[in-house]
Amino acid sequence: MVQEFVQQVVNGLVLGSTYTLIALGLTMIYGILGIVNWAHSELYMLGAFVGVFFVVHMQLPFLVGLILAMIVMAGFGMAMDLLVFRPLRSAPEINMIIGTLGISIFLVQAAVIVFSPNPVRFPTEFSEAYLSFMGISLTLQRLMVFCVTLVLIGFLNYFIKHTLIGKAMRACEQNKDAARLMGIDINHVSLVTCAIGAALAAAAGTLVGPIFLVSPQMGLATISKVFAVVILGGMGNVPGAIWAAFILGLAESLTAGFFSSYYKDVVTFCILITVLIIKPAGLFGRSQIEKV
Amino acid sequence: MKKYVSAKNMVVALAVAFAMIFPHLGFKAYYLHIAVLSLLNILLALGLNLIAGYAGQLSLAQAAFFGIGAYVSALLMLNFQLSFWLAAPVAALCSGLVAITIGVPTLRLKGPYFVIATMGFGEIVRQIFLNWQTVTRGPNGLTGIPAPNPISLGFVRLTFESRVENYYLILVVLLLVLVLYYNLVHSRVGRALRAIRNDYIATQVLGIHVAFYRILAFAGGAALSGLTGAFYAGYIRFVSPDTFTTGESINILIMMVIGGMGTIIGPIIGAVFSHLSAGDDARFPPNIVWLSMAC
Repeated sequence: MVQEFVQQVVNGLVLGSTYTLIALGLTMIYGILGIVNWAHSELYMLGAFVGVFFVVHMQLPFLVGLILAMIVMAGFGMAMDLLVFRPLRSAPEINMIIGTLGISIFLVQAAVIVFSPNPVRFPTEFSEAYLSFMGISLTLQRLMVFCVTLVLIGFLNYFIKHTLIGKAMRACEQNKDAARLMGIDINHVSLVTCAIGAALAAAAGTLVGPIFLVSPQMGLATISKVFAVVILGGMGNVPGAIWAAFILGLAESLTAGFFSSYYKDVVTFCILITVLIIKPAGLFGRSQIEKV
Repeated sequence: MKKYVSAKNMVVALAVAFAMIFPHLGFKAYYLHIAVLSLLNILLALGLNLIAGYAGQLSLAQAAFFGIGAYVSALLMLNFQLSFWLAAPVAALCSGLVAITIGVPTLRLKGPYFVIATMGFGEIVRQIFLNWQTVTRGPNGLTGIPAPNPISLGFVRLTFESRVENYYLILVVLLLVLVLYYNLVHSRVGRALRAIRNDYIATQVLGIHVAFYRILAFAGGAALSGLTGAFYAGYIRFVSPDTFTTGESINILIMMVIGGMGTIIGPIIGAVFSHLSAGDDARFPPNIVWLSMAC
C-alpha cells in the first residue's frame, strides 16, 4: 500500500514536471502578450520529434539532443511569433483563439504527413537503466524528467529576476503601455518570450518522449490538461503554474492508482471547472476588478 | 431598399427551391449523404452561432450537446421503445437542461476562461460516453437505432428509412428552425444578445439581465444541437463517442466562422462550403485553406 502510494507519487511528479514545462510557456505568453496559444502543445509534440531526430537518427547523447531540440524549437517559437502572434496581437480575442487553433490543426496535420501518424519509439541511454530502493523502482529517464525540470525552473527564475530582458518581461506583464513609454521594445520582448516558451515545451517533449511514445497526436491529448494547469495557477502567473502542475499531476496519478484510470481525466476537468466557478482567478491568482 | 429586399427574397426562394429538388437532380448517393450531413452541420453551426455569434461567448462544448442529444434519443428508443417523435424533443430538452446547469456557474467567465471551461466540460462528457459501459456500451457505441417512426397522414404514409426521406425530413426541420431563428434574432431577445456582445457593461447599465440572456442563448443553442443529435442518430442509426470530440466542436466553430458569425446566412454557407471542399471524413486538411482565408 505504502509502496503503491510512493510509486504513484513518483509518477505524479513526472507528470507534473511535463505539465510544468508546457504550462510555463503558455502562461508566460498569456501574461506578456495577452495571447491564449492553443497551438502550444504542438510545440511540445514537434520538440519530441526533433529530439527523436537528434538522439535516435543522429546518435547524439541524450542531453546534447535535448539542448539542440530546445534551440531548434526556440527558433520555431520566434518564427511563430513573427508570422502569427504579431499580426494577431491587437485583434479581437475570438480571432486569436481561432487563429491559434488553426496553427494547431495545421501543425498536427503537417506532422502526420511528414512523420506518419504512427507512434514512434524513442529509446535513449537512460530508458533501460533502473534505480530501485525500498521496493520502489523507477527508470533513470523518469528521475531525469524531474531533475531537468527543476534545473530549467531555476534557470528561468534567474533569467526573469536578474537579467535586463527579464526585467523588461516583468514590466510588460504589469503594464504594456507604461513599459513601452519607458522605451521597452515590445516586439523584442515577445520574441524572447516565445523563444523561451517554445524551448521549454520542446524540453518537455524530448524528456517524456522516451517514457511514452512520440506521435503527432500527443499534443492534442495534453493541451486541455495544460490549460487546466494554467487556469488553476491563475493565467499569467508563473509560480502558480508550477504549483498547479504538480498538484494536477499528483491528483491524476493518484486517481489512476487508487480510484479508476478511466476517470482520471474526468477528475482533472472537474477540478478545473470547480476552481473556475469558485475562484476564477486561479488558486494562486488575485482577483481583479474590471475598470470601465 | 425595397429592391434589395425583393432580390434577397428571390435568392432565398431560389435556394429553398434548389434544396427541395436536389435529390432529384441525379447526383450519386454519396453526394446525397454529404448533403444530409451538411444540413445537420448547418443546424449545429446555427446552435453555436446563437451563443458565440450573437451573445459573444465562444463555446467548445457544442459537440458534447450534440452527443447528449444523440445518446439520449438513441437510448430512449432502444431501451424504452419510445417513438422518435417523443425521443427527439426529450433529447433537445436534456441538452438544454444540461446547458443550463453548466451555464449558470460558467457563463460568468469571460473570453478564454469560458472557452476552456466548455472544452473541459466537452471532454468530461466524451469520457462518460466512453467509460459508462453499462449504459453507453463504451467505445463500441450504440447500434441498431431505429429510424424515425412512420407518420400516417390519412391518405399517405410517410416513412423515414431511406436517404432521400431523411434528407427531406431534416430539410423541413431546418426550414422550421430557420423561421424560428429569424424571428428570435429579430426580436427583443436578439437585440439584447447583440447588445451584450458589443458591450456587456453598458447593457447591464441599461437594465438588461446579462446572465439571463446569456444562459438563454447557451441553452437554446444546446437544445438545437441536441435536437440535431437526435436526427443524426435517426439517420446514421449508430452513435459512438468518436463523433463527439473537441475536434468536432472545432469543426463546428470553423464552419460558423467561415460563413460569418453573428449572421443567419453565415453558418449555412460555412457548413455547405466546408462539406463541398472536405467531403465526408477527410475533414481537417481542406479546412486549413478555409481557416487561413477566415483569418
